[in-house]
Amino acid sequence: MPEASAPLFRRAVIALSGGTVDDAVVRLALEFARHAHSELVAVHVVELDWTQPLDADVAERSEEAQRVLDAAEAIAETLHGKLESVLVQARDVGAAIVDEAAAREADLLILGLPYRTRFGGEFAIGRAVPYALKNAPCAVWVVREKMGEESQ
Amino acid sequence: MFVIVVGGGKVGYFLARELISAGHEVALMERDRARAAQITEEIGSITIPHDGCEGKYLGQAGANRADIVAAVTGDDEDNLVICQMAKHHFDVPRTIARVNNPKNEGLFKHLGVDEIVSPTRMILGSIEADIPVHELLHLAVLGGGELELVEAQLREGSPAIGQLAGSLQLPDGCSLFAIIRDERALSVRSDTELREGDKVIGIGRTECEDELHRILLGESEATD
Repeated sequence: MPEASAPLFRRAVIALSGGTVDDAVVRLALEFARHAHSELVAVHVVELDWTQPLDADVAERSEEAQRVLDAAEAIAETLHGKLESVLVQARDVGAAIVDEAAAREADLLILGLPYRTRFGGEFAIGRAVPYALKNAPCAVWVVREKMGEESQ
Repeated sequence: MFVIVVGGGKVGYFLARELISAGHEVALMERDRARAAQITEEIGSITIPHDGCEGKYLGQAGANRADIVAAVTGDDEDNLVICQMAKHHFDVPRTIARVNNPKNEGLFKHLGVDEIVSPTRMILGSIEADIPVHELLHLAVLGGGELELVEAQLREGSPAIGQLAGSLQLPDGCSLFAIIRDERALSVRSDTELREGDKVIGIGRTECEDELHRILLGESEATD
């Protein structure tokens, strides 16, 4: 049994995709972190294909990625919370997020999941969330955005 | 160093794993999606679940910046195509191919594969070290696979017995340079007479092996 006073989590990694769900993920994480006095690390992964080395200078995509992180920091500032932001270049988003969570000894990983459907209407969960659910050593929360009107 | 390994069988799998452990960047191409997924599960996101024989996918694997492409599938034809495409289309500095049928070694070299590895020949060499299967013992492969150092023990009936070394019509590019006789090493001169029991050491091009065998030991008993 955990101690009653033990925080829900000490360090959480938030995975930012750059999509509309990021806002909800960051707000949720900040809200919980405030009560638990936890550290938050926001990670955005720039996925590179094999034609480029992992340390390639992909300026255009880095600028876009920086905007994603800046947006998260702006929300944190608005809510008077603290957030460390990290930009990672990797081959696979799911693996990179899980590795980052493990490397930082996070006890919680929070991912956003946009509500998307494939052609034919089947819900598409993507690759990163199932990978994280299966492989992350820490707890995983998935924040699925609400269904769009066209999907209901 | 960035290495593309094509073929996710046992060889490719362990090769990739060892290379990663040594700190190299590795992309592994495996066309069987289930096998590729299994490797990803075990080693990490290094797999490209496509056929390395197709230029499009070899390009996606990063052949344009690869230092080495190692084709280690179980199919010689595929390995040859992969290495040729890597070499000539993507200018990969070094190509290495697994050759399953030793008879294909010459072809691979001729078509520009930088290095060939023949597990069959290696195992054969180990077996022959103890039991002379062919009577022509493979001592070493030299010159990246183009040349072989071989030993032939002349037994009763060998056509070379009684002949002078200089009179043998050896294939172009082959030469005999030493004889082990009564546990002593002798250099071969043109007037050296070959005797029963001699172990003749020679060097020659891989493709001349059959001809060398015929001259020193007679026709091979088994062919394939």
